[in-house]
Amino acid sequence: MTKIPLSKIDLKDRRFSISYPPRDEKLLWSIGSIGIIQPVVLLDRTPFVPVAGLKRLQCARSLRLRTVEAVIMNLSDREALLISIHDNLSRELNIVEKALAIGKMDLFGLSEKEIFDVMEHMGLQPHKKVLSGFLAIAGSDEAFKDLVFEKNLSFRNIDSLIRFDGRERAKIVGRLKGLHLTESTLREILEMLHLLKIRKGSITAADIPRSENADTLRAHLKRKTHPILTSLQEKLKVIREAMALPPGVDIKVDPFFEKEYIDIILKICNEEDVAKALAGISGLLQAGYVRSILELTKGRVR
Amino acid sequence: MSLQKAEFVETKGGVVRKCPGTKNHICCGYQTIDLVEGCVLDCSYCILKAYLRDDRIKITRGEDAIISELNNTIDNAGGHIPRFGTGELSDSLAIDRRYKLNRFLLEYFGKKKKAILELKSKWADFGHLSEHLNPYTVISFSVSPQRFIDAEEKRTSPLYKRLKAARAAQELGCFVGLHLDPIVIYDGFEKDYRYLIGDIGRILDPSKIIWISLGLLRFPPAMYGLLLERKRKYLLTGEFIRGEDGKYRYIKTERIRIFRMLYRLLKDIDKGLFVYLCMERADVWRESTGIELKDSEGLIGLFDKRIKNIYGGAL
Repeated sequence: MTKIPLSKIDLKDRRFSISYPPRDEKLLWSIGSIGIIQPVVLLDRTPFVPVAGLKRLQCARSLRLRTVEAVIMNLSDREALLISIHDNLSRELNIVEKALAIGKMDLFGLSEKEIFDVMEHMGLQPHKKVLSGFLAIAGSDEAFKDLVFEKNLSFRNIDSLIRFDGRERAKIVGRLKGLHLTESTLREILEMLHLLKIRKGSITAADIPRSENADTLRAHLKRKTHPILTSLQEKLKVIREAMALPPGVDIKVDPFFEKEYIDIILKICNEEDVAKALAGISGLLQAGYVRSILELTKGRVR
Repeated sequence: MSLQKAEFVETKGGVVRKCPGTKNHICCGYQTIDLVEGCVLDCSYCILKAYLRDDRIKITRGEDAIISELNNTIDNAGGHIPRFGTGELSDSLAIDRRYKLNRFLLEYFGKKKKAILELKSKWADFGHLSEHLNPYTVISFSVSPQRFIDAEEKRTSPLYKRLKAARAAQELGCFVGLHLDPIVIYDGFEKDYRYLIGDIGRILDPSKIIWISLGLLRFPPAMYGLLLERKRKYLLTGEFIRGEDGKYRYIKTERIRIFRMLYRLLKDIDKGLFVYLCMERADVWRESTGIELKDSEGLIGLFDKRIKNIYGGAL
């Protein structure tokens, strides 16, 4: 182990780094407080190339440290990459870091079997489809990687995003970035976008407008992919708003208008509640609201 | 046709079983004889793609055991006329010339004279069975517009060959069945189906069509992702919802509109044609055909009546 001046290390050389995102505020604070505990590993080249500890080195530079403790090793690129990956395997890698590790193993010519072996240790299924998905993440632009990292996307949704071409994906990523998304909402949005693409041939900006929130975007897409269902839902909404359900009474309609019946639910505490609810329902019947709702379930209205 | 790897397994029983049907939908009470699992025809919408792990063809052997199962089922049919088919987990004819799988069944049903065997196929080749045909075997073809066949049923026989084969079966004295299933919504599908039904009326003898089924495209959720991934434009043009059984189907308004149109077109060929809906809701039956069915038992009753009408006392 030896002290190496930071100026002798090429901090721009990220060829062995799998850390994402590159900046780590907690680490910066920690090194600022007590210094670098674990020495970095450098490849014996001029200038030195970081093998393990690039984030520590970047923190050191931010903190204006002049030297760092380092272990100097003379290794092939392939050996250096494996050291970098193994150095990180003990912590929980995020999905982008896993992708970067896999992408670099592929780039440095490791065999599929060797890559599968590391994938298993990362908790990934050693399958070709998973491998190609992670290679695609590794090869994607920073905005996409940021979205994957920030939203902690599942592989299923990542795979779905990757299937769009680069231009479309950039558009989608841009629109999704500021939205609060659950996994299921995102899955639904992406499925509808795929559907539109299959039907129209491509996704345009009009297909995915800037939206206040995920629900607005989902509703916009639903109108395009499911026009009849949306129209039925809107008609139902109009009837519901007009009818003003009495307290303690609710009407449930099949969300896809498949069932030809509706459920009328009563919340009852005593006989008086029953009488009030029945009077309320009777009023709805006489005003024709129940008939109007039932009409939507018969498959006659579009 | 190039064949996938076929493996033979001895039957462990359970080859004859009721068509699983689907929750809250009316089922025709069909029974299946699962001689073959897997299919060489590779239709893009085939639900076997979602269920089967590999593309191997599994052929079940054990004629005596299968006949014993059939005897048991037919002898306990409870007043109904049982109908069986071998086309549930495979195509009935696609590999039959090579493996001669159906011959013993044809002979069995011909002697038993108490039930009907339906060979349902998209492969227009039953010549090897000609000398074994009897009135208790129905040769059936699934039919779709040629445009759809070109796009989604690439390894199957073209429409004109299927209809020609059906005509040949009629000329050999057989009743034939037709299955417009899956019916698929795509740009211009209405016109294509009008032509298709026109062809049926022109080529076939309606008095020798025992039944025609209508079934709009439906598939389990696992299949939806596959169709999106494979960009099946023809299969994804219509508006899908999740039915009460959890399967993806076209929205009810569309199903009724299309069934009504096709039902009328078929009835225009011959009022006496027996047309039924496959796996549909009672309200869809009522709205599109005017037929009021309470449950599956009602439809099974219609089949019994149909068969009695055309077979007279021979069944």
